[in-house]
Amino acid sequence: MNPLIALLIFPGGLFLLLLGLAYEWVDRKLVARLQNRIGPRWFQPFADVLKLLAKEEVVPDGANPFLFLGLPMVALAGALTAALYVPLAGLPPSYSFPGDLIVTVYLLSLMTLCIGLGGANTIDRFSLIGATRTLTQLFSYEAPFLLALLGPAIVVGSWQIGQIAAYADTRLLALTQPVGFVVALIGLMGKLEMPPFDAPEAETEIVAGALTEYSGRGYAMFRLGKGVELIVGLALVAAFYLGGVSDPLSFFGKTLLLLVVVAALQSLFARLRIEQTVGLWWRYGTLLALAQLLFTIVTEVMV
Amino acid sequence: MPTTEPREKFIVPIGPQHPALKEPGHFEFTVDGEIVTGATARLGYVHRGIEKGTEDRSWVQNLYLLERICGICSHSHALAYALGVEKLAGVEAPPRAQAIRVLVAELERIHSHLLWLGVAAHEAGFDTLFMYSWRDRETVMDLLENLTGNRVNYSANVLGGVKFDVSVEQADAIRRGLDFLEERTQHYLTVVTTDSMFLRRTRGIATMSKQQAEALGVIGPTARASDVPRDVRVESPYAAYTTFPVEAVLATAGDLEARFLVRVKELFESYRVIREILDRMPAGDLTARMPRRVKEGETVSRIEAPRGELFYFIKSGGGDRPERVKARTPSMFNFASVLTLAVGHQLADIPMIMAGIDPCFSCNDRLVVVNRIGHEADVWTWEKLRQYGIEYYRR
Repeated sequence: MNPLIALLIFPGGLFLLLLGLAYEWVDRKLVARLQNRIGPRWFQPFADVLKLLAKEEVVPDGANPFLFLGLPMVALAGALTAALYVPLAGLPPSYSFPGDLIVTVYLLSLMTLCIGLGGANTIDRFSLIGATRTLTQLFSYEAPFLLALLGPAIVVGSWQIGQIAAYADTRLLALTQPVGFVVALIGLMGKLEMPPFDAPEAETEIVAGALTEYSGRGYAMFRLGKGVELIVGLALVAAFYLGGVSDPLSFFGKTLLLLVVVAALQSLFARLRIEQTVGLWWRYGTLLALAQLLFTIVTEVMV
Repeated sequence: MPTTEPREKFIVPIGPQHPALKEPGHFEFTVDGEIVTGATARLGYVHRGIEKGTEDRSWVQNLYLLERICGICSHSHALAYALGVEKLAGVEAPPRAQAIRVLVAELERIHSHLLWLGVAAHEAGFDTLFMYSWRDRETVMDLLENLTGNRVNYSANVLGGVKFDVSVEQADAIRRGLDFLEERTQHYLTVVTTDSMFLRRTRGIATMSKQQAEALGVIGPTARASDVPRDVRVESPYAAYTTFPVEAVLATAGDLEARFLVRVKELFESYRVIREILDRMPAGDLTARMPRRVKEGETVSRIEAPRGELFYFIKSGGGDRPERVKARTPSMFNFASVLTLAVGHQLADIPMIMAGIDPCFSCNDRLVVVNRIGHEADVWTWEKLRQYGIEYYRR
């Protein structure tokens, strides 16, 4: 497929943006139902984003306007570019080269980095604290998340998402590497700042965290970016651990199944303090992921 | 903006408008990274001049005005006032009225504690508990509406008695509601004492020793969580608490978990007392005759509101309106503990520490005029106070 079409319309771009919003709705609705609430109507995320896009974007005093307006674009662009290397909607990755797994993981982190920088760029105190927490959290889940994705890569002997996905298509790696699967899924929740890892945007402490000063287009782009990241992350985890996403049915079925699990986890726990998040990841998450990785490497060498 | 002291401080402002606060108040927390090193409070955003307003209204009208001091413990205010005025006038409400007063007071405590449970869980980011406890709170709100006709300001009291009777059907409805709530409360007790993720946010946080609690003068459930046996219902029973005694629920730990424990356990005590009242409701009149003018004199009236001791001072000049009514609300005396305990904790714990005392802002606000020596005493009229308020908020 022409990479430009893949990037802008299908399966990336426009399709991905809409899918991200649809998944965001599923997530919100599920969490709401689990919390005994009614939840939003299906078009609520679309309406939110449309409204935000139509609004004036206020650049606060003390912020560098170039950075302030540019960071949301970079964040969204990063998430959309990451989608190029991931099998989406049952299609193989639109673009592929050896080692694209690492590129994808770092493109996904670009989002968090942009949110952190966006917060640090303003002089708002809630934003500054939120930015500190966002970046602190980045350092806590990033390593275990990457380690968890490396597990399947080592089994396959390739760091190319397409090849790993093709290998995992017939094998349920969640059974052979359960720790990696759990760490990857929970790492994704940390990446998306979902409860209980929502300390960076804990509303009862720091309002909206790093994004407090964002309104209008910038905020809409961050929201869209998060939706895209949700899809890309779910697709990666499903492709690596749940026996592949090579046809549309298994893609939607498996990613939605993961989303249900994520929604249940979100409504189950109280928010962790930032130092508890870091402690959890480095004391348990990283060590478990490392142990899993070592085990995988040893068995690979033995066999 | 950060202050310009020698070493620049990073101050996190909470309020007057902030998602953690349901009512306006202003708190400034000086932080070093995530650790709080100092805390100050500024209240006074919702001063309404109610105490002054009582002096322009008749004894009966004041009942309704004072009920509006607080939307959550409205019955407590009306009850404390009614008991005080009855004491001044030498009138005793009939036993059935007293029992109904206690019944409503305990239902109010249930609704207040369930509300608090939800708010406190929300401050910890545990929205599921928040939603569920508020759903269950609707049960008791419906019971109150069924009983009094109102969900918030029940207007159950009149001077000399109560306004309505409790029918057999209503009593049955209350019993059914309580059965449901008791089961749910048992579940919440399990959650707040065993959920390990939640305990990470409550156990050992904001621990207040018994000595500290006494020194800071905290009252109500906050004090009882630090093993200070301070409960007006037990110390000096009023209304029907003499016939239907309650036990003070105490916890020893003094941390946030203990505050959860005390309030949730108090719910069981309320359920027990309400059932007892319904089973042994005294027969008789609902009101006693109340004179329009109240004899000259002054009195104090204390009751246990959901948040702690509520204290009323009432002075009568012998006319048809009070000369002075002073309400001393419980939250004011618990705020000092927040400012003290916050220091040394993480910023993330602040909303929970604040919610831990179950603060209520609008009943705190007072206007104090200090007369300096050599200046003449100044009498503030209602009109002057009102004008001052308009000017004050215009700035």
